[in-house]
Amino acid sequence: MKLTIGHLYPDLLNLYGDRGNIQCFRKRLKWRGIEAEVIPFLSGDPIDFSQLDIVLLGGGSDREQELVCGHLKNIQQDFKEYVENDGVVLAVCGGYQLLGKYYKTDKKVIEGLSILDITTEWEPERLIRNIVLNSPLFDTPVVGFENHGGRTYIGDHTPFGKVFYGLGNTGKSGYEGVVYKNVIGTYLHGPLLPKNPHVCDYLLERALKRKYGEDIKLEPLPDELEHLAGSYIVDRYSDKKYILKETIKRHT
Amino acid sequence: MKLRTVLAIKCAKCTSYLIKKLNRGSGVTLPGYVARLIDPKILSAMSEMVREKTIVTMGTNGKTTTNAILYKALLAEGKKVIINRTGANMLNGIISAFVLATDKHGRLDADYACIEVDEIASVNVLPQLKPDCALLTNISRDQLDRFGEVDITFQKLKTGVTSVPDTKLIINCDDVLSYTLASESGNPFVTYGISEQIFDDISRSEIRESIFCRSCGKKLEYDFFHYGQLGIYHCPSCGLKRPEPDFTATEIELHDELYTFKMDGMLIQSTARTPYNIYNTLSAYAALNALGAQREHFQEMIESFDYGNNREDIFTINGARVQLHLAKNPIGFQQKISLVLKDPKPKDIIIQINDTYQDGEDISWLWDVDFQYLADAQAATITTNGTRRFDMGLRLKYEDIPCDSTTDLRSTIIDRTTNGTGNLYVIVNYSGLYRTNHLLNELAKASKGGNQA
Repeated sequence: MKLTIGHLYPDLLNLYGDRGNIQCFRKRLKWRGIEAEVIPFLSGDPIDFSQLDIVLLGGGSDREQELVCGHLKNIQQDFKEYVENDGVVLAVCGGYQLLGKYYKTDKKVIEGLSILDITTEWEPERLIRNIVLNSPLFDTPVVGFENHGGRTYIGDHTPFGKVFYGLGNTGKSGYEGVVYKNVIGTYLHGPLLPKNPHVCDYLLERALKRKYGEDIKLEPLPDELEHLAGSYIVDRYSDKKYILKETIKRHT
Repeated sequence: MKLRTVLAIKCAKCTSYLIKKLNRGSGVTLPGYVARLIDPKILSAMSEMVREKTIVTMGTNGKTTTNAILYKALLAEGKKVIINRTGANMLNGIISAFVLATDKHGRLDADYACIEVDEIASVNVLPQLKPDCALLTNISRDQLDRFGEVDITFQKLKTGVTSVPDTKLIINCDDVLSYTLASESGNPFVTYGISEQIFDDISRSEIRESIFCRSCGKKLEYDFFHYGQLGIYHCPSCGLKRPEPDFTATEIELHDELYTFKMDGMLIQSTARTPYNIYNTLSAYAALNALGAQREHFQEMIESFDYGNNREDIFTINGARVQLHLAKNPIGFQQKISLVLKDPKPKDIIIQINDTYQDGEDISWLWDVDFQYLADAQAATITTNGTRRFDMGLRLKYEDIPCDSTTDLRSTIIDRTTNGTGNLYVIVNYSGLYRTNHLLNELAKASKGGNQA
């Protein structure tokens, strides 16, 4: 078996260690004896979505996103078809925002892919901190780090998870990210997948099932270190005293 | 001097005295806060008392070392110089440095001030300090949880320097971000840069900032990269290109772990063990020139200069050679990996990663470092430590590099120095630096005395 992973615009969208997500996809396939091919598409490259099983759209600065925006128009139709056709997508931070209709910054409006009916508006105060989610997709919480100036309004879409600690889509809604078909859009860096192997395996399994049929099942891997790293954050933010201490520090 | 300023100085000094008496830390920021509370214009008043020139040093990497070179170079010319202590590079820390340097009448006796300034703090500090020169080392990703993104750091620095339009900038023109900032600012500037290829492949991480032209948005073309986005670039579309630097170092060679190079007609046999310290030396020299300062003793000073600065130190513990290194952002860590790989001998490695506010709460930058090279580092053991030891372990796991973790740094160091390869590297990020340095000093002393800890 083999999966082909398309990494979109790593030359523009490579913030906050997000290439760790690619590494995680690659290794967790390899450790199970499944072949993985990663194709980086640089800005301007043509993309044939029919050869892709997973698409990763990472985060970039506001300026870089604006540059990306120009290239999106050329792939918009194909990307949308890929998604409607149950293609697997992980879109993080800037990539998440670009899935929507627009991202309105203080200076201009960046047009998105309009794949999802979501919009993002910039506010001067950035939402920056560790974040813990409970997602109905998983038994274990999802942990990461958020760092965004945009507030994303997801309308009637299903959120990725409920915020247990942190700020999430708007800082107020209590929810984070979005799930649509086989797409996960989220603000979570960390990078997201290595500390949340259940999320990685969920996406891999979706992609394998789409390609090889519904009875594919992933073998479990020894994820002791992954769980230690994840539960360290969960435990820390389950401790009320720690949260109080951190809040005081943040405001002084 | 205004009465208000005198009062502010007195109160700040009392505060500092109290902090030390009560043993509540080193007391480098609170006195500044107190002084500013009483006299909001204190920093302007203090900087006017400097007899000759004031220079600030800013940028992501190399600030502390470069500022220390400036300080030592001016001392070597017999000047009286004020410097702020490591880490005290925000507004309050800088005010403290000035205020605590005054005599009992509140007067400052200084020819020069060499001040390290945090990139974000530059917006407030520069207009008050009105420095004659501002040295910018480089701009790259660092503490993104504080800065947000590199473009924000860029904007803050630009706001800072444009608020003081007469301040002359000393700019690394190999860094397209710094060079663009200088060109856009309207400030007068001089450049320094290195045209020879001196960094190896390993010190060049794949992750770099802004390889897109900031004026036209097209991808820049590079003859070669030094590291990060530093290198010899040009824009194929609008004609922006790396200029010929005003100051440069040539004939850069490595002999017995130490670099020699030519600069402004001098052949410098430096004590630098890493190529980025050539940048730090070159930039400081360019700055002294821009300040119009004397430089007769520069060569003598720099050839005995200790680049370590408590950030790179070598100890002997239980007969083993132990090196302490600070690595607090992707570019810094990549350089350390390059250094580790230059040492062909078997070794043990300990990596400590914390996530306090000072370190940066977001440790995702570990994934911007190319750790895969450590697989070839002849490492007998790699041990992770610190609050985020599991994240560090995970990073290595995803490069198929085995490691274990410890919560007890002291016994791990004792074990590795007694039962290990005799060659130990301890790499820490910011908040663990002083404690680890202290621990290593203590262990070195204990093992010298024969009574093994």
